[in-house]
Amino acid sequence: MNMLKAKSITLPNGKIVPFKRSKAPWIILALLICFYYSVQITGFDLQILTKRIGQFWVIIGDMIPPNWNYLNKLWQPLFDTIKMSLLGSLLGSVFALPLAYFASSNIGKNQFVVTATKFILSLLRTLPTLVAALIATFIFGIGTMAGTVAIFLFTIAYVGKLLYEQIENADLKAFEAMQSMGHSTFSAFRYAIMPQIMPNYLSNSIFCFEGNVRYAAILGYVGAGGIGLLLNESLGWRNYANVGMILLLLAVAVFIIENASEYLRKKLL
Amino acid sequence: MNTVEKQLLNEPKRIVQNVITAVIVIVFLMWSLTAVDLSNFTSNGVDIAKNILHGIVTPNTDLLFTFNTNGVPYLLLETMAIAFLGTIVGAILAIPLAFLSASNIVPKPIAFIIRLLLIFVRTIPAIVYGLMFIRVTGPGPFAGVLTMALTSIGMLSKLFVDIIEDLEVNILESLESIGCTTFEKIRYGIIPQLSAMFLSVAIYRFDMNLRDAAILGLVGAGGIGAPLIFAMNGYKWSEVGSILIGLMVLILLIEFFSNKIRNKIVRG
Amino acid sequence: MIKFQNVQKKYDNGYVALKDINLTIDQGEYVAVIGLSGAGKSTLLRCVNRMHDISTGSLLVNDVEVSKLKGSEIRNLRRGIGMIFQSFNLVNRISSLKNVLVSFVPDMPMWRKVLGLYTKQQKIEALEALDRMNILDKAFIRVDQLSGGQQQRVALARTLAQKPSIILADEPVASLDPITAKQVMTDFQRINKEMNMTVIINIHHVDLALEYATRIVGIRSGEIVYDGPASEVTDEILDHIYNGKLEEELTGN
Repeated sequence: MNMLKAKSITLPNGKIVPFKRSKAPWIILALLICFYYSVQITGFDLQILTKRIGQFWVIIGDMIPPNWNYLNKLWQPLFDTIKMSLLGSLLGSVFALPLAYFASSNIGKNQFVVTATKFILSLLRTLPTLVAALIATFIFGIGTMAGTVAIFLFTIAYVGKLLYEQIENADLKAFEAMQSMGHSTFSAFRYAIMPQIMPNYLSNSIFCFEGNVRYAAILGYVGAGGIGLLLNESLGWRNYANVGMILLLLAVAVFIIENASEYLRKKLL
Repeated sequence: MNTVEKQLLNEPKRIVQNVITAVIVIVFLMWSLTAVDLSNFTSNGVDIAKNILHGIVTPNTDLLFTFNTNGVPYLLLETMAIAFLGTIVGAILAIPLAFLSASNIVPKPIAFIIRLLLIFVRTIPAIVYGLMFIRVTGPGPFAGVLTMALTSIGMLSKLFVDIIEDLEVNILESLESIGCTTFEKIRYGIIPQLSAMFLSVAIYRFDMNLRDAAILGLVGAGGIGAPLIFAMNGYKWSEVGSILIGLMVLILLIEFFSNKIRNKIVRG
Repeated sequence: MIKFQNVQKKYDNGYVALKDINLTIDQGEYVAVIGLSGAGKSTLLRCVNRMHDISTGSLLVNDVEVSKLKGSEIRNLRRGIGMIFQSFNLVNRISSLKNVLVSFVPDMPMWRKVLGLYTKQQKIEALEALDRMNILDKAFIRVDQLSGGQQQRVALARTLAQKPSIILADEPVASLDPITAKQVMTDFQRINKEMNMTVIINIHHVDLALEYATRIVGIRSGEIVYDGPASEVTDEILDHIYNGKLEEELTGN
């Protein structure tokens, strides 16, 4: 273990090479300590796990075969879920554009506005969607509206952040040229920066929509509408054949949307 | 017709394409607008919104700075522990699965089956796993750890596969020319390429797990989510405020450090 | 000494890459192998350390019949032969020093192999190899942050640390700019002279081959069509080797 002790090595020709101490042992030690305390705090217990894991498979077993008769009742909530995510993503992406414009340090002249917008965007991003949905149900009542609002807020934050990072990395030469031609900041942005960021912006929005469908599926848990409502109900009644059906339908829907979105994004970029 | 006019006619026509795109977007928009249902909009919704905002800006500072097991700091620590342990267990289990679903390593049919399985694992929302694991371990953070581990497996194995399929294999040729055995080729040719990227992806997942672990409490799987939902259902908005503030600060801090560490790992 | 006797190499798909090769290279020679792409230069080189098997004939490397070796004997043969590649083939994510240290791996005890712990002596030798290539100051820099020329030097240092008696270089300068290419060719020359290592280089750049190598082997469609001192290579000979396509070959690459 001379790796830890040796600080420099002298070559036969007299040159001295300083060696940095390797940090790896310390990092491993720190991880082990974190691991130990995490096990203590969470009560992680392999014995319980091995003894009781059978329960997990029992539940899975109850899901198969799924209850196909239940399918008829699922279409409407599924479409609600998709509608929620679609509307929330669409509006969120549109509203993200002006916010990103104000949050970009290379376009915005007012440092205060830039910082404040960025701060709002990161606050929105850290707010868990489910919590946002729950708050929204208090304001808008139980139903899809609450879910739409939650998805809308998350989309603004997510697309907005990626967008202002893009604007900040965009090539400013054309932007400056247009300003020198007498364009206003906004119109120079419109004709010099927008064409650069457009494909990525659309691609990110579509990607966000894809992720939102997954999120929307669970928003029903707090009463924010969609298929999650039924999922919660079936789980509560321990009707796992129904749960299986919902999950299967969800998997198929997500699979289709994922592939469609991947196709669209490939065409864009 | 002069050449300028001819060129004008040659301008690529994208009108049809644009119109179709616009129509599709509008149709989808109209369709999704039917989801908007304001009939449940309670008349005192605005008041409630005001209360919530007021509570969040005047958080319960006692709760925020109490260091017993009911205080925000301990709950955040528990949430981090759930996310940390879940990430580690998930990352370790994801490695063999990733190799089994890499089409440049195992036969195509096996890779395909494992991939299909992983798609299913990924589609099921974390909350559903949470509810299932509660039946295994009883309510509490242990169920949260198992949930985080399973969702991490789903995503990490997918990202690991991408890394494995991007491996630079020409290094193996030079190790062979040095006289290395297969084991030595894996140890010195493959693992150094994978370890940094795997670590970076795992840290990224830890960041995500922290957000997910924060909501798992809603189903009773430990962490800060349970007190949050109790406070909300009890309209104790200043408690909600202190929990949310703690959570946001933690998430932003972790995000900041995880980005820094990942940049360092990947760029050296 | 490397001795090809009536060597033929036929690929599984029936393509004959080398036809009746007879070639003797003495210890300490600096040989450049030239010819069109696909003429068999790379195959010729890779037969020497058994990266490719020969089909018929005999190939002796330091009096050992290469085609008869098995398993660990092949790996032992390779320990004594260094190989340099066009794309450097370094592990990008680790430092230069660690890349050089890899050349010691096959001789280490198992536990050291698993943990990746090298001895101080090995580190000194690796650093000396880097010093010899004048990149000692880059020892702790990650390879992906070095320029192409520096990366090829790390690869050379890795080979030197192996203390081979023969160095095979497969298009070592093809991905480098002209000035760096000259520097790397000079490096090979220095190693060849100072350490009396045999250097065999496959190379596209005829001018570099003629300037630095002492002996030229010209290959056309798997056959040796010229073998002699670099100083005696004429335009007619080049025309013959390149089948009249020299210009095309140079501009094409």
